[in-house]
Amino acid sequence: MDQQTTGPAQSEIVDRTRAYVRENFLYMRPDWKLGDEDPLLGSGVIDSIGVIELVEFLQDAFQLAIAEEEITERNLGTLGAIGRFVYQKCHANGSGGSLRPRQVA
Amino acid sequence: MCGLAGVARARPQGVSAELLERMATAIRHRGPDGFGLHADDRIGLAHVRLSVIDVAGGAQPMANEDGDVRVIYNGEIYNYLELRHELQLRGHVFRTRSDTEVLVHGYEQWGEGLLERLNGQFAFALHDRRTASLFLARDRFGILPLYYAERGGDLYFASEIKALFASGAVEQALDPEGLDEVFTFWAARPPRTPFRGIRALEPGTWARWRDGVLSIRRYYALDLTAAAAEPADALETLDELLRSGVRLRMRSDVPVGGYLSGGLDSSIACALAAQVSPYDLRTFSVTFDDPQLDESMFQQAVASELGSRHAVQRIGGGEIARVFPDVVRHAETPLLRTAPAPLYLLSRLTREQGIKVVLSGEGSDEVFLGYDLFKETLVRLFCLRQPDSRRRPRLFDRLYGYLPPQTRKGDFWRRFFLDAGSPDDPLFSHLPRFRLTTRIRDFYSDRFRAGLGAFDALGELRQSLPTGFMGWSPLGRAAYLEIVTLLSPYLLAAQGDRMAMAHGVEARVPFLDHRLVEFAVGLPDRSRLCGLREKAILRRWAEGTLPRAITGRPKQPYRAPDVPAFFGGPEPEYVGELLDPASVRRTGIFNPDAVAGLVRRCRAGLATGVGENQALVAILSTQLWHREFLDAPARARAAASSGTRQAAAGASIAA
Repeated sequence: MDQQTTGPAQSEIVDRTRAYVRENFLYMRPDWKLGDEDPLLGSGVIDSIGVIELVEFLQDAFQLAIAEEEITERNLGTLGAIGRFVYQKCHANGSGGSLRPRQVA
Repeated sequence: MCGLAGVARARPQGVSAELLERMATAIRHRGPDGFGLHADDRIGLAHVRLSVIDVAGGAQPMANEDGDVRVIYNGEIYNYLELRHELQLRGHVFRTRSDTEVLVHGYEQWGEGLLERLNGQFAFALHDRRTASLFLARDRFGILPLYYAERGGDLYFASEIKALFASGAVEQALDPEGLDEVFTFWAARPPRTPFRGIRALEPGTWARWRDGVLSIRRYYALDLTAAAAEPADALETLDELLRSGVRLRMRSDVPVGGYLSGGLDSSIACALAAQVSPYDLRTFSVTFDDPQLDESMFQQAVASELGSRHAVQRIGGGEIARVFPDVVRHAETPLLRTAPAPLYLLSRLTREQGIKVVLSGEGSDEVFLGYDLFKETLVRLFCLRQPDSRRRPRLFDRLYGYLPPQTRKGDFWRRFFLDAGSPDDPLFSHLPRFRLTTRIRDFYSDRFRAGLGAFDALGELRQSLPTGFMGWSPLGRAAYLEIVTLLSPYLLAAQGDRMAMAHGVEARVPFLDHRLVEFAVGLPDRSRLCGLREKAILRRWAEGTLPRAITGRPKQPYRAPDVPAFFGGPEPEYVGELLDPASVRRTGIFNPDAVAGLVRRCRAGLATGVGENQALVAILSTQLWHREFLDAPARARAAASSGTRQAAAGASIAA
């Protein structure tokens, strides 16, 4: 974990995203064990509409912009993938999250 | 159309007129024009009549000369004039001009073989005193309903389940497996219903009850084997069948109107009706304030092209929520969409405008491959042939171009279709839909889930498929599944017959003339779905008959607002009451905490996906359904509503 930057730690990204997913997508299945590498799509946790909600959450919560071509399973397929993707974006220029206006491309 | 109800006793203990009146009163909305009973020591028959053919002479129950054969019947036999002529040539003497009498003499002449000769939509019960049996039959595609329950050797039967409950003899209890099918297919698959011990007679079957034993036989099965090449005279044949189908369905002693959706099918039906109608054609449409759902521009274009007198039922903010409890009461099943509600309001408008018979375009999408589901099946197969292609899955974006762009972004959206199942699975075409629908199961309470045990709705459907199913093309298989899982048990029932008959309106469906259906499903797939162009041959036929704006218009699915209907404006009181955790817990089907989470998201405007919209409508309608049918005895309600004696005023009790 890079302590030099001002952006969130990867573990924080994963934990906040997990809490968001639980609150909004798993409210009907509170006993669901959602591990860091469990697939979000294949397991039915999130559908295509849910992905858009998730993207909006990530943009709001971590102050970054996510382009349509970045909405992939590689980047958003698991909590771990989200942690890595968001962390990289937030720390890409060494100064925390992008300040670009929020917009789902 | 009409309503029927009755009882067949195993022992000669009689059937009281009071019992029959009670059952008939529960379905009086189906037949406000007349009421008749017949009772003897073993059989009781009750009928409520909507007078359409031979208004003066067609009262029921109707018997032959010596009373050996007596029928109560709901429906229309469109080729009754031809059958009547044939029967007269064989020596049968007719006393009325009604199609009902054709059933009586036709049964005398041909027995069960009568059914194959009928072109129509029907459900009937016929007492055959010669064989001491009761014969029940339902049309080929299930346009009209017929339910039954066996209790202590006696058989209770009726057009609607509420009449069975009104008998006081049929237990009011839910069937977990029937409900699970609703939450898988959108409706329980006949013979199953959401009620324990109540069965629906399957479309295309008949049943005979004798000495307390019920035997059921199939008389009609559709073969979906498509030809390799389109016959040279296909367009001529289609023309003849369309015109004949509509012409037969214009046979009526009262004016026939038309439902006009703005799409191709209802426009064809109305255009052909206008050509043969002896009256100025009346047309009726639903319009939505939400421009994403509204088709009024196309409806107006067709109405003005046809010169019809057009009336509109506008659906704005609160209409759906206001009538939804009545919709569920008439549908007698939980619903996954609010789409029946606008049709309930449309039939009310139609009846208020003095029309009690309409043509509808139902059935065309199934046999001419109009639904997106058929294209989706082809695109999924195309993609799965090259699973690594990134270009091919982009076809899904094109396919669902009418959905808001924010709902179809990125490869997650495409993967939903590609991961849904293998082409080797007989249910391949429908697996994305079933997968989406069954998310409602996530809301089940532990107790309800435990009650289901190992029940597997999809497994049972696979087991039920006809021999030769896998020999049909993928689109033929998809069409079959669409007909048996959605058209018959949902579109023709909860959304069709039940919404129309709630206000005593008979809907006739020319595209389900069995001759047209058999012709259409026998055409090569590409004659119907050409590339991604649906209903291709029908469009070719319609060019020159309908405005170009209609023939060239892509299929638009009929949709109504779901979550916004209840949470988009002032929330109706019953919504909060029924979705309250205590109320959900009392009903016992869903988990109160899960429902509370969903309601919270609905109120916050976050429940925008199909899954949550379906879940909300499913849960709310289940709560309404439970309150209506299971919380209080229908019998008490029926007795309290208007008084059976009052409702039975003018009844004729035969025998």
